[in-house]
Amino acid sequence: MTNESNESNADDSELGLPWDRAARRGDSRRDLALVLAWSLDEPDRIGEVAVCRGALCLGRGGPSGDDPSPRAVFVRARPGESAPRPPFTNSRLSRVHLAVEPVREGLRVRQLGRAQLRINGRALAEGVAQEGDVVEVHNAATFFVAMRTPEMSGATSMTPAFPFASPDAFGLVGESEAAWKMRAAYAFAASTERHVLLLGDSGAGKELAARSIHGLSARRPGPLIARNAATLPESLIDAELFGNTKNYPNVGMPERPGLIGEAHGGTLFLDEIAELPERCQVHLLRALDDDGEHQRLGESRPRKSSFKLVAATNRPVDALKHDLLARFVHRVNLVGLMERREDIPLIAGHLLQTMARGSRFVAERFFERRAGALAEPRLEPTLISRLLRHPFTHHVRELERLLWLAIETAEHDYIGMTPAVEAELRDSAESASETAEVTREDLVRALADHGRSPTKMAKLLGLKNRYVLIRLLKKHGLSAGPEETGGAS
Amino acid sequence: MSLDERLLRETLELALAGEGFPARFYEVLFSAHPEVRPMFHRNSAGAQQKMFAQKLCAIVDSAHEPERMAAEIRATAASHRVYGVRDEMYDWVGEALIVTLREACGSQWTPEAEKAWRDAYGLIVAAMTTP
Ligand code: HEM
Repeated sequence: MTNESNESNADDSELGLPWDRAARRGDSRRDLALVLAWSLDEPDRIGEVAVCRGALCLGRGGPSGDDPSPRAVFVRARPGESAPRPPFTNSRLSRVHLAVEPVREGLRVRQLGRAQLRINGRALAEGVAQEGDVVEVHNAATFFVAMRTPEMSGATSMTPAFPFASPDAFGLVGESEAAWKMRAAYAFAASTERHVLLLGDSGAGKELAARSIHGLSARRPGPLIARNAATLPESLIDAELFGNTKNYPNVGMPERPGLIGEAHGGTLFLDEIAELPERCQVHLLRALDDDGEHQRLGESRPRKSSFKLVAATNRPVDALKHDLLARFVHRVNLVGLMERREDIPLIAGHLLQTMARGSRFVAERFFERRAGALAEPRLEPTLISRLLRHPFTHHVRELERLLWLAIETAEHDYIGMTPAVEAELRDSAESASETAEVTREDLVRALADHGRSPTKMAKLLGLKNRYVLIRLLKKHGLSAGPEETGGAS
Repeated sequence: MSLDERLLRETLELALAGEGFPARFYEVLFSAHPEVRPMFHRNSAGAQQKMFAQKLCAIVDSAHEPERMAAEIRATAASHRVYGVRDEMYDWVGEALIVTLREACGSQWTPEAEKAWRDAYGLIVAAMTTP
């Protein structure tokens, strides 16, 4: 640390151009870091991080005479915030438990304390952990190895304050750099009046993104109207979007303002916008351009609606008509769970708390109680370690399903690995690795040849079954013939 | 009196490294003195065990700094008066603690270790019970 302080004096100087200053400060320097993912005694500290820039040791309590190197200091890192947290008080950690040192291949970790060190589930006295690996002190604490910049960039001030590790005002849980980058992107998209296109897999939180953008914008007091374009009946799409007069187009239809009219003064969230027929995409253009000008069906005078469109799709952007695409100045890529794996324990914790609040059975069977109140769940650390390394394809939705499965099939008073969870994890991991080798081109070709028969296609591509295929098609924004895709997802 | 912090820590870490030391402690306490069991109703057994083990560690880790050790004990002392803990109960807890430590440390439990723990526990109780 000492020779770095000289550097940092130079950093403070205002000399030079901004980009040169940033480069000199090493703003983009990234180091491996340990993120607390599970702790027996201190579950409230999950999500805290220690960046490893040099040799460190880690254990219970503050510095002691026997420390082989400086103690890792954990922080609740947020943009512009990194105040040191108190030493761990975990009773299963020895006073000096791990020695950690950055080396070329990753972090060299050595066990000095009593409880067994494990890296990715394997018991070792010493080993090297890389980004994405899981370092466990058996039944004491689990750490996820992530890449971190010493200081997160951006500002928290745009997001209403919320406690560390809790959901933010709009329901997003996460303290990773990726989570904070998403919050910053939402805030930016909210700060202008331009329309927004959200891109990301289903399950990656598009509805939550729309809620955030609306809630952070000046339109907050206005309505947030949300609809899934794929569920609009084709013959009524125009009426649904633009409204209609009474008895038009069909007798008996009530007068409706349409989604665009309803969203006046607020935000219209249209999910799966790529499912709108091209004709309707064209009709939308006018409303997006001319101050929300639109015509109710059966009415000749145009109306205006001041609305901001937040549209979303899980398809590649070229699935949209290009002139519609051009109307979206802001495009926000939603970060999937795999790009912010260190948030998995926090999200799991939040999901479990929600389940416990909704079910007395869950609360009483699986949760600790402190001073009369619901406290942390009894979570087997192996489950968390396995989830941290699981290749999620359906993001938070898949995580939630796995947790419910663990609860349903639990045989004891804790939530952990059960044969059912094991089988499910193995199955979807297998299909994820299987599918990694199939490219989009392969799929397009197979669709052209056998698009009507997913079973045949799956066989041809060497996939286990048609469900694996359907999942893969979805991921690439493709779909097979309608009649056979029924039971998927 | 100066405490043998190293010996206290070694035996405590050894005991805690095994499975279920804090749970066993309450088992021993409740079987010798069933009348105290109903006093433990605000925390689930698991949470109570974690807090007790954490507190023991924090006290032992501060044994070389009497000021800090006193501070660690002060908060606990205040809450224990609210729980209605009577002085003689500290003897019961002390015995259960020694029995459980001895059991968990097995062959590594020595007369020196027992003395170190009796000394330490005496100091803790004195701090807990002086208003
Ligand atoms: C000197 C050793 C002791 C230590 C280090 C200790 C430590 C603790 C700790 C850390 C807690 C958690 C809540 C809090 O901090 O108030 C606690 C709770 C408690 N302790 Fe102790 N304690 C000791 C002795 C005793 C004794 C002698 C009794 C008498 C039976 C006792 C009865 C309780 C009770 C009734 C609770 C609350 C449990 C509940 O509400 O469910 N403790 N103790």
